[in-house]
Amino acid sequence: MDVIPSLDLLDGQVVRLLHGDFASVTAYGDPETVLDSLNVPPRSRLHIVDLEASRSGRPVETAIVRRLASHGVRIQAGGGIRSLADARTWIDAGAEKVVIGTVAADAPEILQSIVNELGADRVIAAIDVRDGIVRVAGWERDATASLAEVLARVEGVGIGEVLITDISKDGAMRGPSFALYRSLNTKMRIIASGGVSTISDVVSLSRIDSIGACVIGRALLDGRIRLAEARARVATPNAIPERIIPCLDVRDGRVVKGVNFVDIRDAGDPVECAIRYETEGGDELVILDISATDANRSTALDVVRRVSESLFIPLTVGGGVRTIEDFRALLRAGADRVAINTAGIRDPQLIADCAREFGVQAVVLSCDAKRAGDHFEAMVRGGKESSGVDAVEWCRRAEELGAGEILLTSVDRDGTNSGYDIELLRAVTSIVKIGVIASGGAGNVDHFRDAIEAGGARAVLAASLFHDRRLSIGDVKQFLASEGIPVRSSGLVD
Amino acid sequence: MKTTLIDSPVANVANIARALRVAGAELEVTRDVSTIASARKLVLPGVGSFVAATRWLTENKIDTAIRDAVNRGASLLGICVGHQLLFDSSTEMGATPGLGLVRGEVRQFDGILPVPQIGWNRVAARGPLFEGVESDVFYFVNSYAAMNAPDEIGRADYGGPFTAAVQRERVFGVQFHPEKSSSAGLRVLRNYIAWT
Repeated sequence: MDVIPSLDLLDGQVVRLLHGDFASVTAYGDPETVLDSLNVPPRSRLHIVDLEASRSGRPVETAIVRRLASHGVRIQAGGGIRSLADARTWIDAGAEKVVIGTVAADAPEILQSIVNELGADRVIAAIDVRDGIVRVAGWERDATASLAEVLARVEGVGIGEVLITDISKDGAMRGPSFALYRSLNTKMRIIASGGVSTISDVVSLSRIDSIGACVIGRALLDGRIRLAEARARVATPNAIPERIIPCLDVRDGRVVKGVNFVDIRDAGDPVECAIRYETEGGDELVILDISATDANRSTALDVVRRVSESLFIPLTVGGGVRTIEDFRALLRAGADRVAINTAGIRDPQLIADCAREFGVQAVVLSCDAKRAGDHFEAMVRGGKESSGVDAVEWCRRAEELGAGEILLTSVDRDGTNSGYDIELLRAVTSIVKIGVIASGGAGNVDHFRDAIEAGGARAVLAASLFHDRRLSIGDVKQFLASEGIPVRSSGLVD
Repeated sequence: MKTTLIDSPVANVANIARALRVAGAELEVTRDVSTIASARKLVLPGVGSFVAATRWLTENKIDTAIRDAVNRGASLLGICVGHQLLFDSSTEMGATPGLGLVRGEVRQFDGILPVPQIGWNRVAARGPLFEGVESDVFYFVNSYAAMNAPDEIGRADYGGPFTAAVQRERVFGVQFHPEKSSSAGLRVLRNYIAWT
């Protein structure tokens, strides 16, 4: 997949409009300086939108396109192209391709004449979609044709590339419309546009077969995504498999499962469950000791010891870890990694101390987050008690302190089977570099895909779903593989 | 044939011992120099710091014992930092010499991805160690690796290619943790145990 930087031009400057509003402009300076600062290599594709032209219907920024094209940049220019004359103006100025929007959706005869004159390979059709409806004329009105009709027509005139923007998301950093792209039925190569705000978004888009490129605007300008990094990541999108992690909630030596952290019921022997999960293809096992009173500490250690003796995948253990000695005891009992929750919030230094003593790879921050108005709060004591600490900010701080990974549980979703909290996941994955394990809410295979694809999670955890055999780990992996998401093939059952 | 696991204090010996036994090894675990020097099939584990592991080897003359054994025709498998110890040197703390049993240098990942690498990664591998392996994905925890080593038999990518496995005659090394790599890892250990 190609990653194409996108610049919106107004009055000779690179700008961004929020939701297409000319009253809400952020300026970034002159285009050549911006291209230099983004380290756009020669011969790179570059997407240019002439905003004034999209409003007035007459090409304005041709001088800039001419200058940039003379440096070797391969420009695709768009904005208000309503006629063959407009299109030819851009090509004459040095653009490699023109991007045709409104006309493609509303005036098939003009589109046909442009294709006849310039050749189909110099034309990209641009379709703006809001809630499944094609919008035209600077997003001011609905097109007369449906999305499927527009796609069929554009494909019919021989155009090979179609740029599709979900305008309800453009610029708002809420993520690309993965579901829209997956639902499209076309042989054309899709250029995804809108909402790309993290490296993980870029990687996720590259895994969708029909997507040939994505354009990135604001996230590049704001430095959230570095072009070289994005291009390097999509060069090998399938090298590193995403992980499926079964979780055993253990109390007093038995596996249990509660809904929303309460209403606990017994669900079996930890060693038997652990072996079954490795056999099914679990990439790692998490044991959360939810009793974790002092009296039951030795019982928990014994469970860890017995499970680790039967397991040949990594084992992460959490629950009631208060001191560096608790941490050490779990590692000695056979845990590879230990999760710190409540004690870390009360004493952040514990995370730093454990990272120094045992290495960052051993330290997992377990964060139980609950919605509180417009933000998320970190909960303590098994999700029961509010800590007053902002969950997203706490995750960022824990990375700084030396946590190697974050186990992020939505207390609201836990046990509900209604899906992982994508908004919570994005809030954290967009600001930390370390991996995030999504937890709380798994109910079907789509939820796992969404947590990885839209949420940016590097691993997905589930407990009751696997335990009650409503889904097997193999089912999940098979589905993810069919959706283009790399997974480790299911170990012992193969 | 007996398999001799070197009982390094800078390693997760218990986990590897368990995996080797499950893979069929008749196992002895020792740090006795003469036992190591006369061993026929050695395993050198290691986690954490290359420098600390090297210090332990030299201070206890284990390095000489390992070289003696290999010179007498013993086979050797290094795991994780044990794998790194096989190389000529590591850039950890400047330049620290290794055992020099395989060629090349161990360096820190300078790529774009978070360090350490923690997790599963795909390995393109060949040779007797990987015969019949069910999956090409293994579990890694490392900040350092050899890159493009002359004796490379397995390669993986973490923001750039790195050497995931080496073989030079009877000396083998794997950067991943076979004891945490489920059936694929156990198969690698079984292959090593069976190799003559």
